[in-house]
Amino acid sequence: MSETPSGMSPEDVVDDAPPGSIAADVPSDAAVLAEREGMNITSRSFGRQTWDRFRRHRLALIAAIVLALLATAFIVGPWLSPYGFSERDVLNMRSGPTAEHPFGTDTIGRDLMVRTFLGGRFSLRIALIVALLTTLIGTVIGAIGGYFGGTVDTIVNQTINLFLIIPALVVLLVVGVRFAASPNSIAFLLAILLWPTIARVVRGLFLQYKEQEFVLAAKAAGARAPRIMFRHILPNTFGPIVVNATLLIGVAIILESTLSFLGVGVQPPTPTLGNLIEESKGQLDSKPSAVLIPGGFIVAITLCVNFLGDGLRDALDPTSRKG
Amino acid sequence: MFAYVVRRILSTIPLLLVGTFIVFTLTAISGDPLSRLATADVGEEAYERIIELYGLDQPIPIRYVNWMSSAIQGDMGPAPSQGSQPTFNIVMDRAGNTARLAIPAFFFIAITAITLGVYSAVKQYSKLDYFVTGFSFLGISLPTFVFGLLLQVIFGLWFFDWFGVRPFYVLGMRTVASHGWLDMVRSHVLPIVTLWLVITASESRFQRAAMLEVINSDYIRTARAKGLPRRKVILKHGLRNALIPLVTIWAIDLGLLLGGSVVTETIFAWPGLGRLLLDGIFQQDLNLTMGVIMVVSLLVVAFNLLADLLYGVLDPRIRYE
Repeated sequence: MSETPSGMSPEDVVDDAPPGSIAADVPSDAAVLAEREGMNITSRSFGRQTWDRFRRHRLALIAAIVLALLATAFIVGPWLSPYGFSERDVLNMRSGPTAEHPFGTDTIGRDLMVRTFLGGRFSLRIALIVALLTTLIGTVIGAIGGYFGGTVDTIVNQTINLFLIIPALVVLLVVGVRFAASPNSIAFLLAILLWPTIARVVRGLFLQYKEQEFVLAAKAAGARAPRIMFRHILPNTFGPIVVNATLLIGVAIILESTLSFLGVGVQPPTPTLGNLIEESKGQLDSKPSAVLIPGGFIVAITLCVNFLGDGLRDALDPTSRKG
Repeated sequence: MFAYVVRRILSTIPLLLVGTFIVFTLTAISGDPLSRLATADVGEEAYERIIELYGLDQPIPIRYVNWMSSAIQGDMGPAPSQGSQPTFNIVMDRAGNTARLAIPAFFFIAITAITLGVYSAVKQYSKLDYFVTGFSFLGISLPTFVFGLLLQVIFGLWFFDWFGVRPFYVLGMRTVASHGWLDMVRSHVLPIVTLWLVITASESRFQRAAMLEVINSDYIRTARAKGLPRRKVILKHGLRNALIPLVTIWAIDLGLLLGGSVVTETIFAWPGLGRLLLDGIFQQDLNLTMGVIMVVSLLVVAFNLLADLLYGVLDPRIRYE
């Protein structure tokens, strides 16, 4: 975690003035004195301050814990289950939730709990790859456009606008129909379509920061453009980027499951939460649990991610909060 | 202002051209429209005629230019997957069906978003505010297709006699299942509610933020200080200013709604633009796919322009150079 250049760290407040004169007034109670003098403020790092602010956001904290639990269940669950993910229990086909199969079984008797957890694992993995890739591409392109300005910025800006005109879903559908998709290729495709959202934020921040004195100082000291961009300006944009990257996980999960639901996402037999819903939507009237359970997991993940993003916004970027 | 409009339109045209060209290329290379003919044994002559008719032997850029130059004259070519009817007529027909959902949905969205947003801003940190905030978080986190399926489970399975998901009123057709206007209303309700939830969730959040910013501003304090009743200050001084940013969002959302929702229309088997687009893509019907995309992009662009212009009309501080 890097230092903020604005010099707001609390250790500046503490100075080592001789306490002698005041100590004479209330010699008995050193704690009260220290408090009155502001001497008891211990210095807190940027990371520590962020954590302290985040902790106060109760919902975000709960969301983070739930997310961690879900991820653990997705990873460990299939291991502990007595059923394999394509193992068929022919005696219990198309069953609803029972003691042996808590989530029921599908049309050919595969245990839906194992499949749901594996699906969650793939959905979460895709979403994390999308968030990382999108942030990487978006940050680099946004930084270049914002920092250099002029023609470069015009190109970047027009490309961003272009992506806003083309509906992402259309491109995904057209490409998805042709190319049978693996989890990684879907993640890659989503990243290519989503980077403008991050690039727009980063570009705006760079436009704003490049006019500030510390950039001028770095220039005067002889730093080259890449160093100024990534060592001096980028750490300041850390908060908004992390918040947007978090929210992207939710967007990616929704988009990926929607694609799978429409039949052009990750192809079976790889399960994702969207695939599971697509497979069971025909039996909606006889066995709604097969649709509602994976649907519930999708909502739980996105809800937690959105609460987490909200908490991170408060913690990392306390000035952005209105009202 | 007029010069601004002209310049905005002119600057959008290249974007639109590049965008449609990319989609055209992707659609054209994403499938072989002749593959189905090969199995149907139509004979060499018919094969050649079709290649000739759709210009399939030409390079993609030339096919794009040909398509675009006739499309701007209103001729989008025949749609092979729809019995070779003119694409333009089909698209216009389906656009009407989409509008039957979009326009009522839009009004409900506008009314509820304002009400929820204003109330939760005025009563910030009250129980109601937390409720509205929870509602918007849920709405934002709920994928459209999950919500649509949930509605089908609730009203098609548990309370199936309320809206009748299964006995569909088929648009434009007097079927046995249709019992006049009541059936028509019932078939509209669930898709409209689906569209409503997702958009209202984000709009009410936005309205709340806008309202909070206005309420905490100096001129509201002045109005209160000179003795005006609170209600009047909130509605006349507050709301009117807090609506400015929302109106621009309305324009954008209305453009998106009129363009059709692929997911909602698929779930409720609604014959609108979104479904048509999906059909075009799945059946590798290039003319149909491009026709829908053209209309949808034009709608989005036009309503974005409208949003910018409205902003200037409502907020006189904004000037278009």
